[in-house]
Amino acid sequence: MIYGLKFVMKYAFGLDQAGRNFAVFPDDTFVVSYPRSGNTWTRFLIANLVYPNEDVTFANIEKLIPDTSSISSRSLRRTPRPRFIKTHEYFDHRYRKVIYVVRDPRDVVLSHYDFQRKYRQIDDQYPFENYVDDFVKGNLISKGWGTWGENVASWISTRGNSPDFLLLHYEDMIGDTFRELGRIAQFLGIKASLSLLETAVSRSTADRMRELEKMQSADWVATKKHRKDIPFVRSARSGGWREQLSENSIAKIESAWGELMTTLGYQLASAKLVGAR
Amino acid sequence: MYSDDVFIVSYPKSGNTWSRFLIGNLLHPQEPANFANINRIIPDPEALSVRQLSHLARPRILKSHQYFDPRYQRVIYIVRDPRDVALSQYHFQIKRRVIANGHPVEQFVDRFITGATGIYGSWGENVGSWIATRHASSDFLLVRYEDLITDAIHEMERIAHFLGIAATRQIIAQAVERSSATQMRKLETDQSRMWSTTKDTRQDIPFVRAAAAGGWKSELSEKSVLQIENAWAPLMKWLGYDLLMPARESGELAAAVAMLGAFPK
Repeated sequence: MIYGLKFVMKYAFGLDQAGRNFAVFPDDTFVVSYPRSGNTWTRFLIANLVYPNEDVTFANIEKLIPDTSSISSRSLRRTPRPRFIKTHEYFDHRYRKVIYVVRDPRDVVLSHYDFQRKYRQIDDQYPFENYVDDFVKGNLISKGWGTWGENVASWISTRGNSPDFLLLHYEDMIGDTFRELGRIAQFLGIKASLSLLETAVSRSTADRMRELEKMQSADWVATKKHRKDIPFVRSARSGGWREQLSENSIAKIESAWGELMTTLGYQLASAKLVGAR
Repeated sequence: MYSDDVFIVSYPKSGNTWSRFLIGNLLHPQEPANFANINRIIPDPEALSVRQLSHLARPRILKSHQYFDPRYQRVIYIVRDPRDVALSQYHFQIKRRVIANGHPVEQFVDRFITGATGIYGSWGENVGSWIATRHASSDFLLVRYEDLITDAIHEMERIAHFLGIAATRQIIAQAVERSSATQMRKLETDQSRMWSTTKDTRQDIPFVRAAAAGGWKSELSEKSVLQIENAWAPLMKWLGYDLLMPARESGELAAAVAMLGAFPK
């Protein structure tokens, strides 16, 4: 009852979080990923591609490509169409056009750990091995979006073959940003010149985003209230797990999602596990 | 939601009500399920207020048609051949006056495939989202409607085991008997005005319909059948539904088959 009233009041004053409760339009494009999988980078790339006359920064990214978990349903309703909307939601049948960014879960867990420390959701002493258990079992604060495997599988199994679904690998984006942005442009039906693609890539590099974060972390909803000693833009590379994850952690993740990882092209490191299955 | 909640989930017209009767009769041998009490015994959370929900005895057994929702920890998923689901949904929508008598079935199937005939995604999205995310989990039980038709006792033993109920063979047999199509038709005749799902619908068309598998073979056109199979061939094959379309045609969906790697066997 109290919860219901609070929700109605928040909604009436435009203070709610849109979440899964907002009107979807047929011309919406959704930029979807599990958290810490390159979503913000992808938003910068797309914003720089679609709005070449805007100076895309952390100060205006929420306006250009709003996030369902920070914008109110009212503001979302008022966002000019066609809208680009960022979300971490698991499968939602109303989303017609979806760009899904997937990242190796062994790297995601490392990034997610730093991120939750930054957000003061766990402290620096929280044992990483325990965190891997939480990550695999879905005991994270972000569990409303499902586990990594649930989030990814819910989209791929339902939309994997749809022409309105574009699957991007974070690792491919790191490997050849230019080519992957070209795929995005084609998916969006944007005739992008080479120079436009190049400009968009150069305006969205990790170095530039780090510079922007230094200047604007107090202006961005995702960073303003959180620890400043841990950056939001982290290593911006793939494969960090090879040095940073213990064999035990790798085995836990691979035994949870081995088949899905293999389907996605992520080679498993725990050979004995493959034999066991 | 509680971690011990159990959800009986299915795409609409896949045997969910029958499963509710079966499970209701399994859990409450003292109170035979009928259309007047089923919403209380195994409620649909969408039909109840938050307060009513919080007053239910635990563990709660709830009914749902939702596609994958990470909050559902324990799930019994009922799946049915989409060719029969399409047909059943067609008849149900006539009963509900959503479409008129004589509405072309092929037109209905066109919309069925895109998920436009309902609000729970398409059949493939609903089934695929659950199987891909949860199939390997010990908190997920997949039950085929067709297996319930063929051997209800055996499927009920699986369900009882999943629910951790030490049910005697006699209780199971009684639950199956009390939930038979004949029994449910008899109850519907007396109670269709007392059940929210049927009270405002056409009374000349029954809710409990054929209660059989394979009706599509005589009632769907070949065009509709192939359309459905083309949409979901890999998933249908994975579920063990024999396809009418030639194998090589389904082989063309290589990308889709590759996707099935996402489904842990």
